[in-house]
Amino acid sequence: MATPIIDASQIIKDYGRVRALHGVSLEVGAGEFVALVGPSGCGKTTLLKILAGFEEATDGLLEIEGRDMRGVPAAQRPTRMVFQKLALFPHKTVAQNIGFPLKLQKVDPAEIDRRVRSMLELMHLNIAYLDRFPAQLSGGEQQRVALARALVSQPGVLLLDEPMSALDAKLKKSLQAELKKLHREIGTSFVLVTHDLEEAMMLADKICVMRSGHVVQTGTPTDIYYRPANMFVAGFIGETNFLPVDVAPAGNGGMTVSSSLASGAPAVIAPGNVSEFLGAGSKSLLIRPESITFVKGEPGPETWTLSGVVDEYFIKGSSTQYRIRVAGLEAPVVMDLPGSFELAADVDQEVRIGFEPARAFLLSE
Amino acid sequence: MKSQRKTWNDPVLVAAVMPLALVMLVFFLIPLAMTVVLTFQTTQYYRLNWTWDLKIWTEIFSKPHYWTIMLRTVGMALICVAISVVIAYPAAYALTTRLKTYNTQIQILIIFAFLTDAVLKTFGWILVLDRNGVANWLLSYLGFGPEALDILFTPTGTMIGMVYNLAVYPMFTIYLSLARLDRDLILASYDAGASRIRTFFEVTLPLSKPGLYSGAVLVFVLSLGAFLEPKVLGGGTSPLASELIRQSFETRVNWPLGAALTIVLIAIGALTLALAAGFVFRRTPSRRGEPA
Repeated sequence: MATPIIDASQIIKDYGRVRALHGVSLEVGAGEFVALVGPSGCGKTTLLKILAGFEEATDGLLEIEGRDMRGVPAAQRPTRMVFQKLALFPHKTVAQNIGFPLKLQKVDPAEIDRRVRSMLELMHLNIAYLDRFPAQLSGGEQQRVALARALVSQPGVLLLDEPMSALDAKLKKSLQAELKKLHREIGTSFVLVTHDLEEAMMLADKICVMRSGHVVQTGTPTDIYYRPANMFVAGFIGETNFLPVDVAPAGNGGMTVSSSLASGAPAVIAPGNVSEFLGAGSKSLLIRPESITFVKGEPGPETWTLSGVVDEYFIKGSSTQYRIRVAGLEAPVVMDLPGSFELAADVDQEVRIGFEPARAFLLSE
Repeated sequence: MKSQRKTWNDPVLVAAVMPLALVMLVFFLIPLAMTVVLTFQTTQYYRLNWTWDLKIWTEIFSKPHYWTIMLRTVGMALICVAISVVIAYPAAYALTTRLKTYNTQIQILIIFAFLTDAVLKTFGWILVLDRNGVANWLLSYLGFGPEALDILFTPTGTMIGMVYNLAVYPMFTIYLSLARLDRDLILASYDAGASRIRTFFEVTLPLSKPGLYSGAVLVFVLSLGAFLEPKVLGGGTSPLASELIRQSFETRVNWPLGAALTIVLIAIGALTLALAAGFVFRRTPSRRGEPA
């Protein structure tokens, strides 16, 4: 891999006696779109602030574009930030906001005007907005102005601090699509902080899942969804079902699993479906809702079955979700069936459900 | 976007405005009108004659003495505004940035000083500024010679008292403006590549202007009516408008003259404010305009 644009290693950050980051490492390649994901207080925003230069790391090495960033103030870093609340200057017009970084670089006013206009075009903003104030624009338009201001000076890295959390769902979707397209067009490295793993999966090439100051897993969106490091990461996106299992090593590097709750022969999980972070703690099979079906009659030899009672169902249109109470499992089993005219089961009805353990993912807590 | 147009045809709105309108009418507009009416009367043997003539106004426009005092008052007020703002801004800025830890304690101290009766504070300054006062004792101790400071009973003494009593207003209005300032805006400016000084002039100062202006207006209006300081610390050698008006009412028992001087003072004050507002808003781009 070529030299990364951002190379942060073993970053530690203490606030007084509280340690916010416990030696976090992050590499961002040229033109890469990296998302930092985690629940509130996991340290993702702290890490972003350290990258931007708003906070100084207590310990650790941070290089951006090959330069050691120790003691380099935010103003002199090749990074630009899009703030959560956008932080557009309310007393400056759209043109003055976007042109501000260029004005500070003492760029010729005619050149500033030209580049501001081309940013406006890139962001699909109306040219007539140039002389408006941010308060006169809609939320989505303000978002684009903030992006334009951050990108106008062609930074090496664009940092995005949950910039879309304040928008309504529909606008969010369309801006997410635009952001992804924009990233493809301009080829700048993006680092996005979000608590929404779905957003991260949609946008990023690489996702870094964080929890209480540690990086839990770094990988592609597919890795995170299908090969989560542990139950925390797995539970972070979509619906999940965990079935506790006993394991024994199988010859080929895979694992043989059996469960006292499900009926069915012990199954072998292929090495590719075993978490590389498998620890000593209790182990579970991760079964996504779409892999579970109702079983009527004799199940196939590969199938494990569970008996339960329908707790509730939700008709979602393209699919119907059932929640099944199974004795011995704390949370009801969630399963999605393709939508149809008729319900497959009603509330309180006793049912048998089944799945193929060989297609599930084995992980530990 | 559909905006609700407020009109006088809306009975609920009119009813809601009534109490305030009534208070303003009874306690502000009617007294003002009475003052104006008073200027067209005359006095004879300490008694008011309802005459309706322009005698008083002729007197006012023919005596430069009154105008000297009026202009001196406005001049003092403007200087007081300038000094107060220059003192108040850094103090308020420090309160919101550097002194955050002791912010509350310092504010309480300022409020104590503010709530202490102005008469006490002003007389207190005599102890400091007197020939044998604290200030001179300190200066001579530091080797500046005896009686280095001789500003008690001069306009400078008046100014010190006025600034001391009034600077707290802009301190609070500016503090409120600065405290409301979104910290992210400062970070955004640094992030865009601006130095601390540049950020102050590009972001902090423009966004604290509301507090700066309202503080300045408060100081200006209050120092136009400054009464205590010129009397106690200025020693009456160069009286200001309020002293002149007091004399007209009390000593000379010439109410029409006092009323006319009051109107002149109000007019000059309003005119100065209008000019200042025109200057300020001409340089600020309009924020009006309908969003598309």
